[in-house]
Amino acid sequence: MRFNKSLKLAVNILVHSKLRSWLTIIGIVIGIAAVVAIVSIGAGMQQNVESRLGGLGADIITISPGGGRASAGFRGGHGGGMPGTTATAATAENLTKKDVLVLQSVGGIEYIQGTVSGRGEMYYLGEKATISIDGVDPLVWKEMTTSELESGRLLGPSDYNVVVVGSRVAKDTFKQPLTLNRMITLEEKAFKVVGILKESGGFGGDDNKIIMPIKAARDTLEDVGSDEFDSITLKVANTDDVDQIMEEADKKLMISRHLTERGKDFSIRSAKSTQETMSDITQTMTLFLGAIAAVSLLVGAVGIANTMFTSVLEKTKEIGIMKSIGAKNSDIMMIFLLNSAIVGLVGGLLGICLGTGIASLLPLLGMRMMGMGREGMTTAVTPSLLFFALLISIGIGMAAGVIPAYRASKLKPVDALRYE
Amino acid sequence: MVSNLIKLENVWKIYQMGDVQVPALKGIDLEVKKGEFLAIAGVSGSGKSTMMNLIGCLDLPSKGKIFLGGDDIASFRESKLAQIRGQKIGFVFQQFNLIPTLTALENVMLPLEFQDVDTSTARKKALEILNLVGLGDRVHHLPSQLSGGQQQRVAISRALSVDPEIILADEPTGNLDSKTGEFIMDVLNKIHRKDSKTIIIVTHDFYLVKRAERVVFLKDGQVERIEHNHKEQGGEFA
Ligand SMILES: Nc1ncnc2c1ncn2[C@@H]1O[C@H](COP(=O)(O)OP(=O)(O)OP(=O)(O)O)[C@@H](O)[C@H]1O
Ligand SMILES: [Mg+2]
Repeated sequence: MRFNKSLKLAVNILVHSKLRSWLTIIGIVIGIAAVVAIVSIGAGMQQNVESRLGGLGADIITISPGGGRASAGFRGGHGGGMPGTTATAATAENLTKKDVLVLQSVGGIEYIQGTVSGRGEMYYLGEKATISIDGVDPLVWKEMTTSELESGRLLGPSDYNVVVVGSRVAKDTFKQPLTLNRMITLEEKAFKVVGILKESGGFGGDDNKIIMPIKAARDTLEDVGSDEFDSITLKVANTDDVDQIMEEADKKLMISRHLTERGKDFSIRSAKSTQETMSDITQTMTLFLGAIAAVSLLVGAVGIANTMFTSVLEKTKEIGIMKSIGAKNSDIMMIFLLNSAIVGLVGGLLGICLGTGIASLLPLLGMRMMGMGREGMTTAVTPSLLFFALLISIGIGMAAGVIPAYRASKLKPVDALRYE
Repeated sequence: MVSNLIKLENVWKIYQMGDVQVPALKGIDLEVKKGEFLAIAGVSGSGKSTMMNLIGCLDLPSKGKIFLGGDDIASFRESKLAQIRGQKIGFVFQQFNLIPTLTALENVMLPLEFQDVDTSTARKKALEILNLVGLGDRVHHLPSQLSGGQQQRVAISRALSVDPEIILADEPTGNLDSKTGEFIMDVLNKIHRKDSKTIIIVTHDFYLVKRAERVVFLKDGQVERIEHNHKEQGGEFA
């Protein structure tokens, strides 16, 4: 029998099948929907992490007080500040000038930047806001920052009470946008805006920050000791050496701070290591959720197999009839296999629709608990994902149908005809 | 050469029912010539259907040999048997046995499709036969939308669609009233005379039995006697 005829008969069986058999498709629908949604969320998170960490610069290593790499990953972000600046510094010893000196002995480092940071009250045209403030060495910062100027200039070596502001601070924080040469008040001190940065969009970008000379920051922010830093940033000369330099810096700091691995009170990471940590987390999550989806697919497959067995049983007489008018075993096998493949296909299509729907709704629900903010949650439904989802659902349909179809094909014509 | 199209040699069919062996046929010998109109008669349970199923390659004998056109059917593989059923034999059943989800036309086309005949040819052929049996205006009806007599005519059309050498009809009129049954018999008679097909029909009906050229009476799985009806009856029903 020709393929298109077998297909026609397979469709005919499906079209005339009872509601009960349609219901079992739901198993596949849910399974595929879950797979599509989960994988697209995973892919979205992955893209997110990559695009956001891109702004951090591949040649930058950041050291911050507070141990535990695990807590570092999701910090920062929307609230601004380099990752780790809000870390639990209470118990940890702050970084000091001595640490900077130690780090200077590590080879391959182009620049070292000690930063103090904190949050301060800012007044502008009668409005008040709490803003993250970074105090930096203007000369070093100029070389290290990945932020670009939108207007004005960067900080200069002789600057004191001037600031450069991140794009969101300038544009979104106050009713009136901040413009160049405006005076603002930070912690009861007056500062002049000399530069406004372009939006970086990235994770550790300066969008939500105000940057000022470190001397001014020490005078402005509370609780900042005269030779303490909230983070130290290293720019390496050669990106390939990042891992090796990180290791060396880590080792030297441990020795100079008289620490053991357990009592470690600082964390050190690069854009790369942060990205790897984040990728690990998203991948683990995707895998875990994917496993759940796989279970639901398995249940769906069993459902289809069950329906197929019933369907074959119900069709026994028709199988006998078809055999009596010349159907070969292979014809019967083909018809029923195609039937279950179509069941899988239909389930897959419905599942893709549902899964895509869920994937597009999730960001709206706002996964704030991820600490990424509203815009932090994106999903990526790619054509290849849909293609594979369809392939999987058809495959499951066929796998579930193989045994029933084989049984159907092996029925003896007389026995099948006698079946009522 | 007037060959024996069908030949049964000491054919046994034994059904295994748990521990009990139920012999349905016990050593049948029979020869059927090409173009013959043969009736098989006998009380219920005498083995008529069992014999038909064996001749129609729906089943294989437990013992003995069945030859179709000189070949022992036991020597054929499954696909070859399917091919014989599809090309050489046309079945007509008491319960019509149409596929309920296919229209009359699709039912008649189905055997042709199993033989890889292309759709337009199959369609033409099916319509031609359906017209012949007077169902030209019912081709798109489902079996459930047809009367019993009409369904049986569709079934006969289906059996004829591949132009088989042998028509096997197991109580084709059993589920029909006598008038409709007679009409079905007329159709079968016509086929026999016009296309000189070999026809074997199972029936209890004494009146129908008399229309066949030869009648085989079965009793307890054995041939009890064979009668020849010499009277030519074709004209009466033309
Ligand atoms: N699949 C089977 N399993 C067991 N026994 C069977 C089977 N098919 C038929 N038989 C037995 O074989 C014998 C002959 O059955 P068969 O169907 O050939 O009779 P029949 O002459 O066609 O009767 P009827 O006129 O009622 O159709 C019966 O005794 C029946 O019980
Ligand atoms: Mg019978």
